[in-house]
Amino acid sequence: MSSESQVLVRQIDDLDISAVVEIDERIAGAYRPEVWERRISYHLRRDPETALVAEHLGAVVGFMLGDVRSGEFGLEEPTGWIEVVGVDPRTRGLGVGRRLAEEMLARFRARGATGVRTLVEDERGELVKFFASVGFTPSKLTALERKI
Amino acid sequence: MTLRTETLPSKFHGAVINWREAYLPDYPLLMESWEKFFPTEPKFQLCAFRQMGMCTTIECGEHTGKPKHQKASEMAPETAHHLYGAIRAQASTEFGSIQQHRLTLARAQNEEEQFWILRMMAEELRHGYQMLHLLAEDDWTSVTSESTEQMIEGILSMNTGSHLLSAFNIDFDSFVDSVVFCGLIDRVGKYQLSMQKVSAYQPMAESMPKMLQEEAFHLAAGVVPMRRWVTRAAAGDVTITVSALQKTINKWLQRGLEMFGDERGGASNVKMGLKPLKNFEAQQQYRDEVGKLVRDLNLRHLRARCPNLTIGNAEKTLDRILAGEVLEGIGRDDLLRLPHADFFRRRGTPAFTMIGRDGERFDDVNGYAKHLAQNLPESYLANRDFAEYLDLLGQVVRGETTAEVASAKSPALRRVGGACPCSKAVRWVVDDPSPNLSSPALASA
Repeated sequence: MSSESQVLVRQIDDLDISAVVEIDERIAGAYRPEVWERRISYHLRRDPETALVAEHLGAVVGFMLGDVRSGEFGLEEPTGWIEVVGVDPRTRGLGVGRRLAEEMLARFRARGATGVRTLVEDERGELVKFFASVGFTPSKLTALERKI
Repeated sequence: MTLRTETLPSKFHGAVINWREAYLPDYPLLMESWEKFFPTEPKFQLCAFRQMGMCTTIECGEHTGKPKHQKASEMAPETAHHLYGAIRAQASTEFGSIQQHRLTLARAQNEEEQFWILRMMAEELRHGYQMLHLLAEDDWTSVTSESTEQMIEGILSMNTGSHLLSAFNIDFDSFVDSVVFCGLIDRVGKYQLSMQKVSAYQPMAESMPKMLQEEAFHLAAGVVPMRRWVTRAAAGDVTITVSALQKTINKWLQRGLEMFGDERGGASNVKMGLKPLKNFEAQQQYRDEVGKLVRDLNLRHLRARCPNLTIGNAEKTLDRILAGEVLEGIGRDDLLRLPHADFFRRRGTPAFTMIGRDGERFDDVNGYAKHLAQNLPESYLANRDFAEYLDLLGQVVRGETTAEVASAKSPALRRVGGACPCSKAVRWVVDDPSPNLSSPALASA
């Protein structure tokens, strides 16, 4: 019987690129290996301990990439930033995203972060719901943008 | 978790800087270009990092649960001797790989990949520095009569041909070597560092986390270019082919297997709490991991050649091709495969046994030499290392020597001059004359 307790979270490595590409393809319907090769390389260089994958029954079924930064957007205190999260749609309901978030927050805390932030598009209601379920609330920061 | 930053005493630090000027002349370029290639990433720092707050009790072996050793003098002589050997070997590999990469760095086809390798070389220098720091901060008189100066000089004077592990005694012939080496040989490094992270010697264990973090990128500096190359090969790019990549994998993977030590050994390290796995166990895990890498590369290549494949059928198509079918015009020989574990071996149980790439057995040296020539990079065939291997193989087959003796002799390049700057590399920057250090350059010439 599958359950959250069978989900193992560990640090990402170079051999997880294919699995992340596959999960992204299942979610977004686009095959984008170049994007993930570059992005995962960046995280492996910067701080691989805050780039995570979740395994279930020996297969990678989710990933979460983040890092701790200070001094950005006028926020001097070390802040954990979750940049991207992806869960294989076939394993939804196993608590994969929750397990990833719990481990990521623990690692952020170990690096001195006192808060964690992320940005989610309004139309990604499911993602907003997920972050709310792991304790995120709307921030006082406002995301601004313009076309150039 | 806190990282403590430490530096070597100034004369040793200066010696490493001197070494860097000789073997890593592009270091200033790396620093100048850091913002361009690695914006937002902390700049490289030559120092030793020690992770604080780690486990303080022995994690494996017969002394599990007892306090870890803070000093070599607290250890049993045999344990301290093994540890000393491991630190020297680790240091040798770190400095050795820089000497290999420098030969082909300029031949990179892509600037990003070139700077990845250059950064990786700088981090290997830091790893070597970290090992020298372990030697310099402790008292090793219980296992060696050498002074700290002599120990450090001995390591810094090593060159391709005189390093302690065979993979670091083979010159690179192309940038393909450089990238495949990162993907395969640095992967062995990851295993060694992971095992040393639970070392019963606390300073060794504390040295590992930052090294492992950096090593994770070194693997990517090999794997990502390989993934890009199999895609280019799929598009018909003649500058990199699956065949070239396969031959280079054949060249290095076997050296990687041998870095774990003889398949029958490793029990002492486990017993003493220095490592958690025996040689064969670690070697097997490593080979499985490389098998996964090869499969990933094949899948990347296949999907680049057949854009009509989808996530649902690409894996199945790959399995059918690997089983012998020809699909979409692609057969098994168009893809990468893992060479047999006993192929082209010169150390360990299968040393000099003439096993082919797919496990076939050869009876005569000439036939085996031809088989090797077909399966190794052409540029490597003219390499002295390969000639010496064939010479030793002939001696073993004719009964003139044993496989054990031949293993001990290879690979052993001998430097006879040329462009190698080693004769100027090892110089203490602080005038601290010692009779034993009067001519350090001669040690490696």
